[in-house]
Amino acid sequence: MTDKDRDREKETLAAPGGSDRQWLVAGSNGNRWTRFDVRRSFERQPRLWIAVLILALAVGGWLLLRTSGPAVDETWLMMQERGSWRVGMDPSFPPFEMLDAEGAPIGYDVDLAREIAATWGLEAEIVAIGFDSLLDALLVGRVDAVISAFPFNARMTKDVYYLPPYFEAGVWLAARADAPYEEIADLDGGTVAVEWGSRGDAIARRLQREGAEFERMPFESSEKAIQALVSGASDALLIDGVTLRLAQGEGKRIRAVGDVLDEDPYVIAVSVKAPVLRGALFEAMAALEEGRRLDLLEERWFGQVAGGSE
Amino acid sequence: MIGRFASYLRRKPYLLNFIQWIANWSPRARKLIGALLLCSLVGLTYRSYFRNWVPLGPQRTVTTVNLKMGVHTRLTDEPDAAKIKRSLEMVREMGAPWIVEYFPWAYYEPKRGQYEWSHPDLVIDHANRQGLTVIARLGYVPSWARPEDSHHLYLAEENYEAFGRYAVEFVRRYQGKVRYLIIWNEPNLSLEWGFRPVDPASYVKMLKVVYPMVKAAAPDVQVLAGALAPTLDPPGSEWSMNDLDYLQAMYDAGAAGYFDILAIHAYGLGFDADEPAGESVINFRRSELLREIMVRNGDGDKTAMITEGGWNDHPRWTRAVRPAQRILNSARAYEIAGSEWPWMESVCLWVFRFPWDQKSYQDYYTFVDTDFEPKAIYLEMQRYAAGRFEAP
Repeated sequence: MTDKDRDREKETLAAPGGSDRQWLVAGSNGNRWTRFDVRRSFERQPRLWIAVLILALAVGGWLLLRTSGPAVDETWLMMQERGSWRVGMDPSFPPFEMLDAEGAPIGYDVDLAREIAATWGLEAEIVAIGFDSLLDALLVGRVDAVISAFPFNARMTKDVYYLPPYFEAGVWLAARADAPYEEIADLDGGTVAVEWGSRGDAIARRLQREGAEFERMPFESSEKAIQALVSGASDALLIDGVTLRLAQGEGKRIRAVGDVLDEDPYVIAVSVKAPVLRGALFEAMAALEEGRRLDLLEERWFGQVAGGSE
Repeated sequence: MIGRFASYLRRKPYLLNFIQWIANWSPRARKLIGALLLCSLVGLTYRSYFRNWVPLGPQRTVTTVNLKMGVHTRLTDEPDAAKIKRSLEMVREMGAPWIVEYFPWAYYEPKRGQYEWSHPDLVIDHANRQGLTVIARLGYVPSWARPEDSHHLYLAEENYEAFGRYAVEFVRRYQGKVRYLIIWNEPNLSLEWGFRPVDPASYVKMLKVVYPMVKAAAPDVQVLAGALAPTLDPPGSEWSMNDLDYLQAMYDAGAAGYFDILAIHAYGLGFDADEPAGESVINFRRSELLREIMVRNGDGDKTAMITEGGWNDHPRWTRAVRPAQRILNSARAYEIAGSEWPWMESVCLWVFRFPWDQKSYQDYYTFVDTDFEPKAIYLEMQRYAAGRFEAP
């Protein structure tokens, strides 16, 4: 629109009935007035508009970078610089982590950390920290990761990234290796041993409330409950994954039946601010699993599963 | 502003047309529309006000063979009225007539003199309706009553009166509903004393300010003091003071006239409930040593209440016991209080339920899961309260 056109339009609007025309123009989607104003405003105050443009670009860029996470993974860079991967664990839960006679950390998680670090050409540096302080230590950067028979915590996923589980410690139904049971329903009329007061006990009681028709047999310890299963005094057992796996390693011919009844997965935890480390961990764990290294680690610390069982 | 609005309307003729169209309706239609709008407004207000409301239900009573049974509930961070009610129903169904509940000062007086009672109203009304006796624990300093950037348990002596005013407002509001009040928690721990060196004399000053204020407002309310954490830290420790030494220091500072009942924390840790008390051991019967100090200081006529305690059955916490031991010890603890300790009014074990999993050893102190699934210990304590408890 030239200056001449603009003058003509002003005259039209000033004429009788011109105000109707103005409404028509402004109300239409063509919005000629707005376009005209912006252009004129830009012509009058070019610096202001350039400043607004720069500000908009800066804000947009900041928002874009903010949502796409940090450009660099400081944790990963520090690991390379240090030559070590600092792993937090509470060495008080055999066989996952404990101290040997000399006070050195040993166990499944210790070996797992070392195997992973080796794939990156780094040393695993085990940092002993109380169980309840492990996540705090991770979040303030005292350690690069946590491997400590550590359970998944959905409430912390804003700050912590959890890798897929490497051990399921939840409650399982177990039966003798040669028993025909495949699910809870197969036990109707049978007996299920539990450690009195344990999580397995609570689940047995819940299943009974829900209509399962087995008889619950409480024992004062998990050892006695396992013995009841092995000796045939009970048909099945409800027990946590760690105790079950240890019993299998001790030569008890028992197996897990069906899916886990109450999940309690152990996971590796890293900060959400360490995306490169997270990716490297994914690859390392996949490689260990593919090479059956995880199975070997489990056998080393829990013992071999007795023949005929899963 | 009006000019701009008029100009806006001029540019949007369809809006003017719409207004004119409504103005042309009959008076009856306009009234009908007005009534509908009013109903919507009332409905929205009602829904907003009662959005977190569940009926109290009929008055219930607790059936139990041991009237000293109790639990520490943890409803402070449970906003859902239905879940508050369900928790308290389950306490009653377990057979425990007593609960301890925490009512943080900072939550309910967020600004000086401005009170927000909707949450405690829910807890106390539902507890009363379930036939439970509430022991209210007060603490947690609002930001306006402490220096900037200080810890939320930091309370300077000049603000003891402000804390007393909160206690007075609390007992006035719940007159006839809450008869027991715990003043502060574990003041013998530095972390519970705002990360300052612990100071029994200053705690007694707090009692000397708050106790008379509460008694003047509600003479029938019983004030509990102490609630000391059992610790064996050596003298001069920066973290805590031995609970036995702290209680004696309280008496030395003149506490006797400023509380009615001693609150005791009695954790069994790895010991059986019948493990004898000893100055160098933390176990359930350590309560007897605190009682001895009361008697030695001429306070033998007063009673005590266990407001925290119990056993933990975490599979990896070094101070935990096996689940079977936890059940046996908990039942035995209630039994000891009922049959051997006439000076003990109630035993409230830690902790009935958390609103969410803590993912730490704390989860293994609970009686029911976050989803209200009863743990085995809950069902066994229920059997105990019904007189049907039997170990396998």
